[in-house]
Amino acid sequence: MNVLAVYSIKGGVGKTSSAVNLAFNAARSGYRTLVWDLDPQGASSYYFRVKPKIKGGSKDLIAGKRELDGLIKGTDFENLDLIPADFSFRNLDLVLDAQKKPTRQLKKLLKPLAEEYDFVFLDCPPNISLLSEAVFEASDILLSPIIPTTLSLRTLDQLKKFIEDNSLKNLVLIPFFSMVDRRKKMHREIMENLIETHPEILATAIPYASDIERMGLERMPLGGYINKSRSTKAYNELWQEILIRTAIRIQ
Amino acid sequence: MTLHFEFPANLSAEQFIANTAIKQANAQLVSQHYSIRTYYDSFDWRLYSNDITCELNRSKSASSLTLTNLKTGLVIASTELDEVPKFSKQFPPGAVRSTLEPILEIRALLPVCTLTYESYHLNITNKDEKIVVRLLIEEHELLNNRLVLQPVKGYDKAAKHIVEILTTKLGLIPTDKPVLLAALRLQGRRPNEYSSKLNINLDPTMRADIASKYIYSHLLKAIKDNEQGTIADTDSEFLHDFRVAVRRTRSGLSQIKSVLPDNICSSYADFFSWLGQITGPTRDLDVYLLNFEHYKSCLPASIREDLNPLHDFLLAKKKKAHKELATKLQSTKYKTTLSEWEQYLKKPSFKKPIEQNAHLTIKELADKRIWKVFNRVLHEGDAINRESPAEALHTLRKTCKKLRYLMEFFQSLYPEHQIKHLIKNLKGLQEVLGDFQDYAVQEHNLQLFSEEMMTLNTPSNTFLAMGVLIQNLDTHRCSARKDFASKFEDFKQEENQSAFKSLFRNSSLCH
Repeated sequence: MNVLAVYSIKGGVGKTSSAVNLAFNAARSGYRTLVWDLDPQGASSYYFRVKPKIKGGSKDLIAGKRELDGLIKGTDFENLDLIPADFSFRNLDLVLDAQKKPTRQLKKLLKPLAEEYDFVFLDCPPNISLLSEAVFEASDILLSPIIPTTLSLRTLDQLKKFIEDNSLKNLVLIPFFSMVDRRKKMHREIMENLIETHPEILATAIPYASDIERMGLERMPLGGYINKSRSTKAYNELWQEILIRTAIRIQ
Repeated sequence: MTLHFEFPANLSAEQFIANTAIKQANAQLVSQHYSIRTYYDSFDWRLYSNDITCELNRSKSASSLTLTNLKTGLVIASTELDEVPKFSKQFPPGAVRSTLEPILEIRALLPVCTLTYESYHLNITNKDEKIVVRLLIEEHELLNNRLVLQPVKGYDKAAKHIVEILTTKLGLIPTDKPVLLAALRLQGRRPNEYSSKLNINLDPTMRADIASKYIYSHLLKAIKDNEQGTIADTDSEFLHDFRVAVRRTRSGLSQIKSVLPDNICSSYADFFSWLGQITGPTRDLDVYLLNFEHYKSCLPASIREDLNPLHDFLLAKKKKAHKELATKLQSTKYKTTLSEWEQYLKKPSFKKPIEQNAHLTIKELADKRIWKVFNRVLHEGDAINRESPAEALHTLRKTCKKLRYLMEFFQSLYPEHQIKHLIKNLKGLQEVLGDFQDYAVQEHNLQLFSEEMMTLNTPSNTFLAMGVLIQNLDTHRCSARKDFASKFEDFKQEENQSAFKSLFRNSSLCH
């Protein structure tokens, strides 16, 4: 099982749509895939039409009263399951803090699922918090979408520093451009500059596109309502690039 | 877990979909198409015996092969596939192949039966239009319609609710039997209808001549069952089983003595001996081809590939031999004689047969014959010492085979556990004798082949590799010869002798 966290310190950068569409791609190529919606806003649960509610809330879950397996919901797509969000996730930091070794809790919860899934995508809320530290410990790969703006360089460097400071040696950070508007000169320039200074950024960029925005209306991954578009092609290529980049690590 | 249901006889798929209860459950028809499903298994039902069904499902847009566990209904492996290869080793690597290979081994995968039906796919959705249950209906023409309910993980309540509607409001009946069974029943067939194991149920009080005809009828059925597969060379086991049945018949005709009229025995003994002869060359070549990978692996890695021209040679030779065999199995001589034999076996027996042993009960005769042949094995084995020629071992091998066949014919007349144990002991001795003989024959034949291959522009390295192979076989032959003494001692030991005695001798004395 490979755990991929889709994470950014900033909000509104296309985390959820990336998590949902990448997971859709993984499942379609035959991998047993799970999305865990950790964001109390429950956007990925919404995209899969699953109620953002789990029995017992975050308290029962973190206290070990409930197993993750019992909370899983099958989506409308083959090989693709989801653990929905819950409004109580807004207090996950507090609940985690009450535990011994709080940052190890997510890893512990995921462990029993190791044989059942090939890929787990964690859809994370923004900010650096105790929850994000627990996410980093549980993950093999940190996928970080960045919008090509002046601020993005700063947040990317912040994240890199955080990973270094916390000696998360096994965590691979993979940034990629998201919500790219190629008509904007600034987007193009920043992308060119960043790629030079940050070779770890993936070559595929996810465009800013209306068909991706339509996910909220259609309530399903892009591939569920569009067969072929610039956006589906981009997600597909991004997934292939991630697979190649992480080939050595994927078991 | 997937659940299966059978429709009541008068309910069509359209009526089901139009039913109010189904409509209220928020069911939507997603697709409807014509489908063809073909079940596959080996001729001897190896998959079914291992609780597996193998089906190729074809529709306009897709074709896939699925292996399912018969008991749990769970899918073991599935793959997209247009055509089913004949042998498991020809499948692309993956879960399907790794499941099939150890079970099927050298047996071909054959279509068992084909079903055509109209398939309907319905989704049951909740208020958010999220799919919570999937229903697949198969509308058959001659069988009751079927429904497969696929629950969605995390939506157990919805599945329970639908099951309730299906069973109480629509009268569907849960079933755990695959549709394959119903389809076979329709054709008057059942799974496991063929097994290469001899399973003859005899009544101990049966008159010997009647019982012997019963045994021959069983063997004749095995010959006929394997005839077409032998002619078509579907896989090498058809010919193998065909030959075993022929050999058993010959053995019966010579060993179940003075039961059927002499003229019958001698004329059919000739016929079955002819069948043994005409099938021999193809079988020998099959054995070399089946052993070929093993032959290669016995050679040093550096010269293994040099042996490949031998494979081509064997294959060409086998094709030729098989062609001749197929012609003979379609000849008038074969067909007429076999059907005359069948007619003879079907004819009612005389009320007062004149043959010496025909009046005995089959149990009396079995005791007598087994005890006699067992003693012959001991006698022949005792006479063999280190200097004895190969022929002495060969003769003993043949006697052991006769004993084995007799014990197998009459197995049902003795306590199962006891006779099985004795057969197992005999098997140990037969193995070492078989190895000795096989290695000797292979050694000899490889030498003959190499002479034939001289005229075929074969690379000299191939002869070198064959030389090493012959050397290997010779070493194995010598070690089998050495093993013989200890295996015979095992067989001869007091415990085994007294077990034979108590099972066959004591009762034969009572008569």
